[in-house]
Amino acid sequence: MTALLALLLAPLFSGTLKWLKARLTHRQGPSPLLEYRNLAKLGRKVWVAPYPTTPLFLLGPIMALLGALGALALLPVLPGLAFKGDFLLALYLLGLGRFFQMLAALDAGSAFGAQGSYREGVVTVLAEPGTLMALAGVVLLGEGFSLSGLPQLGVENSLVLLLALASLALALLAEGARMPVDDPTTHLELTMIHEAQLLDHSGPLLALYELAGSLKMLFYAGLMSLLLPGPKPLVFLGVVGAWILALAYLETYGVKLRYLRLPDFLSYNTLFGVLALLGAIWRF
Amino acid sequence: MGWAWGWGAPYLYLLLLGALTLGLVPYLPPYLAHHPRKAHLYGLLFPLFLATMAGVALASPGFGFLFLWEGMALLGYLLIALEGPGALVGARAFFLASRLSGIGLYLAFLGHGYLGTDWVWAGLLLGFGVKAALFPFHAWLPQAHPVAISPVSALLSGAMTKLGLLGLYQSQYWFGPPPPWVGWALVLLGLLGAVYALVRGLGEEDLKGALAYSSVENLGLMLSALGAYFLKPSPLLLGAFFLHQVAHALFKGLLFLGAGALEERRISHLGGLFRKAPELGALALWGMGVGAGLPPGPVFLAEWQLYQGFLQGTFLVPLAAGALALVGALALYFYVRLFGLAFLGLPRGEAGLFWTKGMRLGLGTLAGLLLLLALAPGVVLDPLRVPTYPNGLLLVLLGLLAGAFYRGVQRMPHRAYGTWDCGFQPLTPRMQPNGLGFAEPALRLFPFLRLRVGEYPRLEEPLAGVYALLGRAYGRLAALVQTLQSGSLHLYLLLQLLALVVVLGVVLL
Repeated sequence: MTALLALLLAPLFSGTLKWLKARLTHRQGPSPLLEYRNLAKLGRKVWVAPYPTTPLFLLGPIMALLGALGALALLPVLPGLAFKGDFLLALYLLGLGRFFQMLAALDAGSAFGAQGSYREGVVTVLAEPGTLMALAGVVLLGEGFSLSGLPQLGVENSLVLLLALASLALALLAEGARMPVDDPTTHLELTMIHEAQLLDHSGPLLALYELAGSLKMLFYAGLMSLLLPGPKPLVFLGVVGAWILALAYLETYGVKLRYLRLPDFLSYNTLFGVLALLGAIWRF
Repeated sequence: MGWAWGWGAPYLYLLLLGALTLGLVPYLPPYLAHHPRKAHLYGLLFPLFLATMAGVALASPGFGFLFLWEGMALLGYLLIALEGPGALVGARAFFLASRLSGIGLYLAFLGHGYLGTDWVWAGLLLGFGVKAALFPFHAWLPQAHPVAISPVSALLSGAMTKLGLLGLYQSQYWFGPPPPWVGWALVLLGLLGAVYALVRGLGEEDLKGALAYSSVENLGLMLSALGAYFLKPSPLLLGAFFLHQVAHALFKGLLFLGAGALEERRISHLGGLFRKAPELGALALWGMGVGAGLPPGPVFLAEWQLYQGFLQGTFLVPLAAGALALVGALALYFYVRLFGLAFLGLPRGEAGLFWTKGMRLGLGTLAGLLLLLALAPGVVLDPLRVPTYPNGLLLVLLGLLAGAFYRGVQRMPHRAYGTWDCGFQPLTPRMQPNGLGFAEPALRLFPFLRLRVGEYPRLEEPLAGVYALLGRAYGRLAALVQTLQSGSLHLYLLLQLLALVVVLGVVLL
């Protein structure tokens, strides 16, 4: 259910974000609904298959979308699938999508795709441990290992949960390829991470990738909404709204970090994760 | 001797050996026909090697076990050394590791009853740990595998290393429960070894060498699972331990046998293999996807249980989940590099390919068994009563959905065109990153490996000096013993008499 909701919401999310960013720089901006029309247009287009490509070129965007959808299906924002340890499966389903996306970028045999691919790998290596430890800390405070039994922010667990929320926020910036880590609007191939991997994909393939990108961000927003008290669907919409505001401000007034500075930035993610897990072990 | 398990761990190893043999049987004849070097000797040694491994799995502790264990080491050495002078370094490393392993086992087996538990377990850790590539003693594995022929690598990595794990597992029934420091050492060294092996393997140029480093990583995870189990028994950890072994034997067997089809194994000289041999590409993709620990694969299922086992562990063991996540992310990078550079993109050279029907059948068998394991992991896990999620259903659903999407997109109008090249000049294969270039950004994150760039970029091993010292010390010792070999019958008789007196003295006193 959550996956379907997110699928409907994803174009609106990225559309509103683009509109707000334009407004913040005193431009008129596209209509927030333009993203739906854009996806429909991309879906009708003729796509280009570069000569050296293999079936992996098609599987990349498909698996990226399926991985994100699978991860979202496990989130109990609306009733979702639940079993012990499903937070691990959710994170690794995103990893499955990333694996195929990285391979698809190498498939066309261009220098840029490969560059995007190994940079994505480095961002994953930097961001994954912290994210997982933060979630593990939260899960240790709740009942069982399931996402549906997560504790909600209160006085007694505020430290661990706030640390986890901070870690997840940094993970969203890294995994969603947003500003301090990656610039989604750049058109200079040498600085791109996420976009460099999509350079050779066009038409419906690009549409799949764009949907998958927004879905990944919605997944992290959904995870954060699970940790906040209140009726889940409303909290989810609230978190998504807050993210649109935060991202728009961040990307209007912030700058992208140099690629070599990423380890410094993402070490905070690891630090928050370690502290959240230690907090959960020692119950402070 | 009580089994924590309904039908006994050794029988699982027989099944594992049988599965590997099933893949080897159709593969070997065409492979050996293509590599005619001493084919009949290989044909004689393979069954012997398999038989000793089965014997080790079934033997109870004692001199029979030690005899079979040393026999296995000797046969393994011969199988590697048969490749000729080029294999000398790898065969020597394997031999030295076997000696180290032997020393540990003699200490434990002979000292049992005389020495304290700590000493016995230190011996066991050394004896079985070296075979299972425990961290500081793992170096023989990536040296031995690239020089051996592919079926030998598949057996060494798929089956022989597992016997070290089985030995450690059984030892708790043979020699009594381990002291806590053994558990801690296994968890720490296992995870440290897994991270080290992946980072080092990222800089490895030889495809089989890289696969060997991946073996060290997988074995490290299994060792840490066993260590956490020693600290606090839980069916989840046991499930992770055994399922990972079966999955690793199958996927690593598949990948090593697949590497045997390539005449060129340097990653920076490969590329575009998928278009040349789509079947090999699909099989390798399945094997490497499983190896990267991706969800519907059985390795992920094992890691999923390992995570939960760690999180239920005592004291600081939950922190190991973070190390496991790092291993997961690195494994993703590692296998993207292997598959992406070797099988995708533009070909970087005229790599020859030897790929026959029998080899296809062998690889297909192993891939099928791996699929079976992913669909029904209960075969291994049910006797252990490990909780799991419906992995088979996930695999089927993902497969169906991906297939439907794939056909849908493929039917949409498309045209073939060149890769976008910035509009300056046509792309050449040299513009793709090479093996070390692709790994470099990740290697920079781990300062324990220094990258020497120059005409021949290479990685500096931090432990190479220690291993060289060990090797030299062993050489000295061997030279000392050699002075006894004078050729004089009188001296030999005297030595025999002395040995007899010593043995009688020890027995009678």
